[in-house]
Amino acid sequence: MAKTKLTDISKNSEKELLQISADDLPPLPSGCGGGEEITPLSEDNKKEWEHCLDGISALKLPRPQNKEEEDKLVRSFLEGVEKLLTKENNWTFLLPLMHTLESCGKCLACSDACPVYEMSGKQDIYRPTYRAEVLRRIVKNHTTRGKALFPGFSEGKIELNWATVARLAELSFRCTICRRCAQACVRGVDNALITHELRKVFSQQMGITAEVLHEKGTVQQLNVGASTGMNKMAFLDIIDFLEDEMEEKLGRRVKMPMDKEGADILLIHNSGEYLSWPLNPVAFAIIFELAGIDYTLSSELGGYEGTNYGLWYDDLQFARIVVQQIQVAHKLGVKKIVVGECGHAHKAMIVIADRLLTGETIIPRESCFPLLEEIVFSGKIKFDPGKNDFPVLLHDPCNVVRLMGIVEPQRRILRHIAPQFREMNPHGVDNYCCGGGSGFATMSPSKAFTDWKMAISGRKKVQQILEAFGDELGPGKKNFVCAPCSNCKGQFRDLIEYYDLEKKYGIYYDGLVELIVNAMVDIKEPYIEWGGM
Amino acid sequence: MAIAELGGKQIEIDEDGFIQDPNAWDEEVAKSLAGTEGVAELTEDHWKVVNYLREYYLEFNMAPMIRKLCKTTGFKLKEIYDLFPSGPAKGACKVAGLPKPTGCV
Repeated sequence: MAKTKLTDISKNSEKELLQISADDLPPLPSGCGGGEEITPLSEDNKKEWEHCLDGISALKLPRPQNKEEEDKLVRSFLEGVEKLLTKENNWTFLLPLMHTLESCGKCLACSDACPVYEMSGKQDIYRPTYRAEVLRRIVKNHTTRGKALFPGFSEGKIELNWATVARLAELSFRCTICRRCAQACVRGVDNALITHELRKVFSQQMGITAEVLHEKGTVQQLNVGASTGMNKMAFLDIIDFLEDEMEEKLGRRVKMPMDKEGADILLIHNSGEYLSWPLNPVAFAIIFELAGIDYTLSSELGGYEGTNYGLWYDDLQFARIVVQQIQVAHKLGVKKIVVGECGHAHKAMIVIADRLLTGETIIPRESCFPLLEEIVFSGKIKFDPGKNDFPVLLHDPCNVVRLMGIVEPQRRILRHIAPQFREMNPHGVDNYCCGGGSGFATMSPSKAFTDWKMAISGRKKVQQILEAFGDELGPGKKNFVCAPCSNCKGQFRDLIEYYDLEKKYGIYYDGLVELIVNAMVDIKEPYIEWGGM
Repeated sequence: MAIAELGGKQIEIDEDGFIQDPNAWDEEVAKSLAGTEGVAELTEDHWKVVNYLREYYLEFNMAPMIRKLCKTTGFKLKEIYDLFPSGPAKGACKVAGLPKPTGCV
């Protein structure tokens, strides 16, 4: 374990603060893994990109050519931090940011709660307090407003130079914003918000962020309709295909209603579901049809993509996307929007959008989970839980469960339809992130970063899953991780491949609605496909 | 962004080896890209997958859903992995010269 002091962040930008070795990482149970080394950046990439934090690059941040360039970037960063402290520029999060800057008691309870810190072998730089305390000292010592707000501040100073800024940029992409640290804090300090605020300074002020979140994420979504690049024509082609395909699979035609004005509900999925996990939106269609729900999908720009990557790095992009989505709902004249199995869409569209929408722009936005519970227990659909007679483990998406407190609906459903349902330890609001949160599941900027999110940020989840299935594990077995979130599913798919979990332990994954349909008496053929199609 | 020699041409590729300009693609480029994917020879089955991916991309400006790829080519997902060990998105799309898939896929 490397001891890193707070002030080390400003030292020599030619040298990495840390190099993680596989020996640092806690061992996994059931003979899983071992020797997860992080592939170093190539010599060419090292010359090109900043890597002085930990030898990894999430941002492909170009190295400044001279001192002048460095100073300009440092000044720009500081201007961005000043803006964070004013309500005109930070209408979204000023209040909780100020609370977090003022209230930390340095007890380090949040470090023990952080899966990245723990599973990195307790590297100091990954403590939730490390980036927070660096920012706090920059605010208090280097900003005009900070000096006025905290005049008696006498703790150690942090030198603000390019090394500090470059390391903070990368450090804001070593946290999944799962907010387990915030849950652990007795004072309500939210160190994950610090991650978010740092990313915001880099993006909004300096134009620095992850390409897959910005150019290929929010920009593509605003222009084309989806972060997957799915345009309207492709979306409608997919819906046609799915209706035909499911008729063949199920022996009945399931309608996916489109652009129906005046429906009660506009249902919005993550567009990745249609491409990678199409049984998920189809399962919604089956369940809603049998339950007689009056709903529609939308093929309009903003209407068929629930993602909002702006949530992870840029409030302005976030706001633009919310506006686009809400406009579609108003135009259709629906009573409310229901968000499908996508965790960050829950947070963006239902929770954080409240900071944006006012007056007539407000439209009710709800999670799919309470509605699904209502349907499952309405008596309108007959279930045979015997069809789901295999071990089922529930993963809690952080944004649905810890953030919104939607804990029991999905559990009551599983107890009803899955006789071998079991829990991880801990679970519910104390859950651990899949390790792909805050955009990581979609990001592969360098092999080093991909290795990091498999070996470190996803490691705790793998440990939990293996422990919870215990004796059930083995080649040829069928163990089902229910992960009702598109982002988590992407991360699980990659973890299963990285640690060979399917072949060695018989571990599979899918969403919640797939399990619901699999248990339906009226659906004769098995709905779940266990990794095959 | 790195430059690689593919099919006798200098072509820009990203960190995962995807070519950046889909128009730079031709059959020789595909053969070179297949080499980077551990596919020694592009058989008729490989071409069936690659050609469908190209065709769909030119019509819809994105890669098809995996399910549709399987349906149209008649290959099961496992068989696509047998053809392209990195799978349909990271392997087959790369050989077909499509951009790297984005979003939560």
